[in-house]
Amino acid sequence: MADQTLAKAGLYFDELNKIRVLEPEVAQQTLELKDECKQFVDKIREFHERADHFIQVADTLSTAVEAEKMKAIGCRNLIKSMSKQREAQEQQLLALIGEKKLELERLRVQYESLHRTDADQLEFIEQFILQK
Amino acid sequence: MRFKTTLLDRPKHSELVSCVGWMSPDEVFSCGDDHKLLCWNLLSNETVVVSEFPANTFPLELHWLPKTSLHKTKGTADVFLLTAADGKFYIVGSNGRVEKVVDGHRGAVLAGRWSHDGAGLVTAGEDGLVKIWSRSGMLRSTLAQASTPVYGAAWSPDSDAVLYTAGTSIIIKPLTPNSKPIQWKGHDGVILKVAWNPNTGLILSGGEDTRYRVWDSYGRQLYSSTLHHHPITSLAWSPDGQVFAVGSFNTLRLCDKAGWCHSLEKPSTGSIFNLAWSGDGTQVAGACGNGHVILAHVIENHLEWKNYEATVTSRTSIALRDVTNEAWEKLELRDRIIKLSLSHGYMVIVTSSQGYIYSTRNWNTPFIFELKESNVSLIVQAERHFLLVDGGSVFVYSYDGRVLCSPRWPGMRTDVLNGHTVSLSNDTLAIRDKTDEKLVHLFDASTGKGLNDGKPWSHKLEIVQVALDQVGTPNDRRMAIVDRNRDLLLLALQRVGAMGRAVKLGGMVQSLCWNDGANMLAALQDAKFTVWFYPAVVFVDRDLLPLTTTEKDAAEFGKNAAVDRFLDTQITVRRSDGSLVTTSVSPYPALLHNYVTTKHFDDAVRLARFVKEDTVWACLAAMATAHRELGTAEVSYSAIDAADKVHNIHHIQEIPVKEARMAEMALMAGHVGDAEVLLVQSGLIFRAVMLNLTTYNFERALQLAVKHRTHVDTVVAFRQRYLARFNKAETSKLFTQYQKQVEVDWDKINEKIEMEYQKEREKPTTSASQNFTDS
Repeated sequence: MADQTLAKAGLYFDELNKIRVLEPEVAQQTLELKDECKQFVDKIREFHERADHFIQVADTLSTAVEAEKMKAIGCRNLIKSMSKQREAQEQQLLALIGEKKLELERLRVQYESLHRTDADQLEFIEQFILQK
Repeated sequence: MRFKTTLLDRPKHSELVSCVGWMSPDEVFSCGDDHKLLCWNLLSNETVVVSEFPANTFPLELHWLPKTSLHKTKGTADVFLLTAADGKFYIVGSNGRVEKVVDGHRGAVLAGRWSHDGAGLVTAGEDGLVKIWSRSGMLRSTLAQASTPVYGAAWSPDSDAVLYTAGTSIIIKPLTPNSKPIQWKGHDGVILKVAWNPNTGLILSGGEDTRYRVWDSYGRQLYSSTLHHHPITSLAWSPDGQVFAVGSFNTLRLCDKAGWCHSLEKPSTGSIFNLAWSGDGTQVAGACGNGHVILAHVIENHLEWKNYEATVTSRTSIALRDVTNEAWEKLELRDRIIKLSLSHGYMVIVTSSQGYIYSTRNWNTPFIFELKESNVSLIVQAERHFLLVDGGSVFVYSYDGRVLCSPRWPGMRTDVLNGHTVSLSNDTLAIRDKTDEKLVHLFDASTGKGLNDGKPWSHKLEIVQVALDQVGTPNDRRMAIVDRNRDLLLLALQRVGAMGRAVKLGGMVQSLCWNDGANMLAALQDAKFTVWFYPAVVFVDRDLLPLTTTEKDAAEFGKNAAVDRFLDTQITVRRSDGSLVTTSVSPYPALLHNYVTTKHFDDAVRLARFVKEDTVWACLAAMATAHRELGTAEVSYSAIDAADKVHNIHHIQEIPVKEARMAEMALMAGHVGDAEVLLVQSGLIFRAVMLNLTTYNFERALQLAVKHRTHVDTVVAFRQRYLARFNKAETSKLFTQYQKQVEVDWDKINEKIEMEYQKEREKPTTSASQNFTDS
């Protein structure tokens, strides 16, 4: 009875006979809620941490990828320019070869003419000896 | 020949280098888009910043005031001309201080050159104007106005005309007002650079069609290069005009004046925007697009003479090879080699401070002599001495290093002398004048005294080449000249008194060379190759000229070939592509020359009999006639079936008086004047009169007769007979006068003539001249 009156007044006793303003059940539920909230907050924090970590990892990965990409582009350009360089080098070498060829041709002409002169002289000597 | 190039690891300029110039043989100035003026000392390998130009000054061309002009106007310091993209040009001292700034053009001043005498300068700009300025930068005239930017300009050899470019054309405009310019299309692309050598008169051009071309001063193309990969950005003649350098992207070429390429270098320079030769012609500096300054010096200069070969292996060393015994010598010199020459058994080397004379017999101990000036531009060797030409004088040295003489002449200019305009023999030096190209100065080589009464010998046309024969006595010295019409003429040089006229030997001569051991002449004539075995035949008997020459088709030498050497029986011809072609001639004429110069006519006849060639006989006939050897001449003439000559010789042999025989010989050679002088001098007046009568020179005969008061009636009689035969009336006043004074009686005249001959027969041969001098 007394309990009921007390309840009307909004007062309750719990198991430990302490006076309370909340219904024990409600109090119980509140406590549970509080616990659950706490758990929830903890979980959220953990999630945040994980997400942050994940983002960080992704970021580093992206920079790494970017770097690699640049490298790849560089390499590709290098290869391209290399072939250009080769071409230029080849051209230079071809020019040098052409020059050498011309020189060789000059020397060949000279050699041939000297050869002819040599033959002429031998012929002359032979004739000279025969005439004597 | 090739370039040995030096490039630093890192460029000294931070931007492209646009221009270079040599202050001295060891110092180069360079200037570029980083506005810095750098001085490169090649001895200490140091580079210093001389000065810095304002940031809006982008230099384009740099040209030092020519050193030769400093001789004349002493006291003027070294300055250079710098043109810039802001339309100004600067005259800058060697310390980098700007002495004068002149606002020259609208738009960039693309080219600027001092005239060769240093009296003025020409600038050409983007606005298409070509302007002439005084030495101090005062505007003299605007020479030309083109519709396109003028990229290049150059002075003519005499500084009396300017060559400039307009798009694809080359234009030569004389400075004299209202004179007509010469213009021709030079390239298919825009012409970027031109150069004109004062020594050879050859013009170089190069442009965006990636070719370079060589022209003569009339605009005839002598050479056109093959295509390059990039435009030709720079060109420069060496001071002596024998070689030139060509620059392009990563390309540096050394080319012969004929156009063919000595060597090709591919340095990593970027485009070479400007090239400049050092004053001694041994080094080149190039302004490179990547901020470098490339320095190159010419090495592997190769010389050959008989069995010796000399090659410059580095700046200071020469490798020598005797091909007969494969002996190698290495000559190390103290200073940089500037010029060398190998001929007549001696090698003359000129370094920057001394001259060395090596004999081929002894390579160990040269004669060393000090130079008056290091800028030696030419060495000409003869058998007994050699000639050195430097910036201001001409010296004849003996082979032991003594100066024999240093001839001078009015209007002397030595920087334009080359192997074509100077010729030296054992006793004579011939130099063609520059201001009047019709003149040849002749000097005695050992004393330096002028021949021809001290006056220059003059021809009626401009002379292109002079060449003296090398063998024989001074009295027989002959000079071959080629004139502007390419006619070859021969002149007999007199040691005393005035020279005669030159006699034509042939036409269309491109190039010629005397033999070193006998007076034979080889020449390239249009499409044939000719050797005159005895050129002096034209003074003796012109009819023999075709017989004493040998001709060959010159097709194997191609166009624009040049006779390089004529040693013994070997003639070397350089083709226009640079290759040397050897050809040989019969050795007999040379032998004949030797016999004749030593007066061994018996041996000469024996040789001719052995050879049995008309050429040899004809040469001998001419030589014998020239030496008044009647017997030999008779034999030779009969061998070539010249019956008339033999007959004439018989007639001469019957003449009892020696002087008369000599005169008849002279007459046979066609020298009527000489014959007459000879006769008059020896008192044979009658013969002199008869000589003039037989050559129908009546007036002269009468003059002689009247002067010596003899045979006037004979002359008149002959004249009357001549007039009667041709039904002519007397026109000469002299004869109408004397006709009245004498009476003609043919019997008496014939009697008198017979008496003269009788007298000659009775007289001892030499008494005639004595009688004359006594009376």
